[in-house]
Amino acid sequence: MQQTSEPRLRARTFTCMGTVISLTVSADAHKAPQAAADELEAATAVVERLFTELDSIFSLYRPDSEASRLVRGELALPEASGEMRARYEEAAEWRLLTEGAFTPERPDGALDLSGIVKGHAIREAGMSLLALGMANWCLNAGGDVLVGGSPNPGTDVPWRAGIVDPADRRTLLAGFPLGGAAPCSPVGKTADGGTRVALATSGSAERGDHIWSVTAGTAEFRQVSVAAVDVVTADVLATAIVAGGVPMLNRATAMWDIEALAVRANGELLATGGFRR
Amino acid sequence: MRIRAAVSAALASAGILLVGWQSGVHVADTRSAVAAAATGNQASGAGTTDSSGTASSGSAASSGTTDSSGTAGASGGAGAAGAAAKAGGTYDGDVVQTRFGTVQVQITVKAGQITDVTALKLTDAEGRSVQISNYAAPILRSEVLQAQSADVQTVGGATVTSDAYLTSLQAALDAANL
Repeated sequence: MQQTSEPRLRARTFTCMGTVISLTVSADAHKAPQAAADELEAATAVVERLFTELDSIFSLYRPDSEASRLVRGELALPEASGEMRARYEEAAEWRLLTEGAFTPERPDGALDLSGIVKGHAIREAGMSLLALGMANWCLNAGGDVLVGGSPNPGTDVPWRAGIVDPADRRTLLAGFPLGGAAPCSPVGKTADGGTRVALATSGSAERGDHIWSVTAGTAEFRQVSVAAVDVVTADVLATAIVAGGVPMLNRATAMWDIEALAVRANGELLATGGFRR
Repeated sequence: MRIRAAVSAALASAGILLVGWQSGVHVADTRSAVAAAATGNQASGAGTTDSSGTASSGSAASSGTTDSSGTAGASGGAGAAGAAAKAGGTYDGDVVQTRFGTVQVQITVKAGQITDVTALKLTDAEGRSVQISNYAAPILRSEVLQAQSADVQTVGGATVTSDAYLTSLQAALDAANL
């Protein structure tokens, strides 16, 4: 799968949920440049509206959000919106599946669905892009990535994602191929990573990751990346592994079809086969 | 006798565990594997049923399999291992053909307790060895899939704030593609 030329990419960004979301599409040779540009503008607007709407419901940084009213006790969960209850249900299910390593509650007991909302927003955005008829795109929300198709339209070349080194954020620790498989091929083929379309990374010292260590004391892992066939699974498990350490890492790799790369506090790496060169 | 029964049962359950992972609900196909892993000893038949019930608790089909193992009888190899196991050591199970490929396990015994189970042989139908566990193992930095920032189209990492984004590699990529 040797590339003959660098794919021509176009990107748009917007700010939401305290971070920056980037939508990158590969230029389709069959489309007029202006039409392609218009399509990207329209798609970015759709994605931005989706993120903004979810943020207005779930943000704990907005005093007027539904989530903030829940935390203040002005609203009870049974009376909350369908969107809120659906995300709570999803998060509660993940808490069971991860034996508590992922939890929708803060240590003080307050409900906090931030750990699942960004992944959910990326998932919804991905579905919207597909619904818009866009086949080749890469959506990056503050370091969590979901892709469709290939950077070289019409080929099965995967998107190449880099993972930052937590010790030096200007350098890359590793790479991982995302997507790129032909649409008809079975998803989740196996460990070669070619058909995994989502890559999520969590850190133990980052704002916005909302991770509280299950084991007392300092976190075992400084950073954990998980590649999966869906972005919520990748995001939740990355968060759970940072919180739950090696036992949760082993549980996650045994129970889910994922690839994982974990950076210990001392910089040592643990990786599944798909992250090996 | 008790130890022997326990070791034999453990050998059998190790077999069941491995084959059970591979076979899922294909009860009939696992019979030969279970039979080979069990010993001829009557006590072990009972032991097998107990321990496999816990060992493969994830799958109802596997516990169904154990009933047939008790009656299906036995092979000699594991029985000899059972007798010697009092002293501890490692013991290889029989090589078993399943529709999913060849399976052979090795157990390590210390003081009548199994301390480790390893798959010696595990191949798919085409004879390639397969990885049943996706265990994350220690790895050197030079051994991970490499990437240069000039060579990637997107950058993953723990959530960056909108401020931190400005100096991030992703921002540089986005700027290049604007």
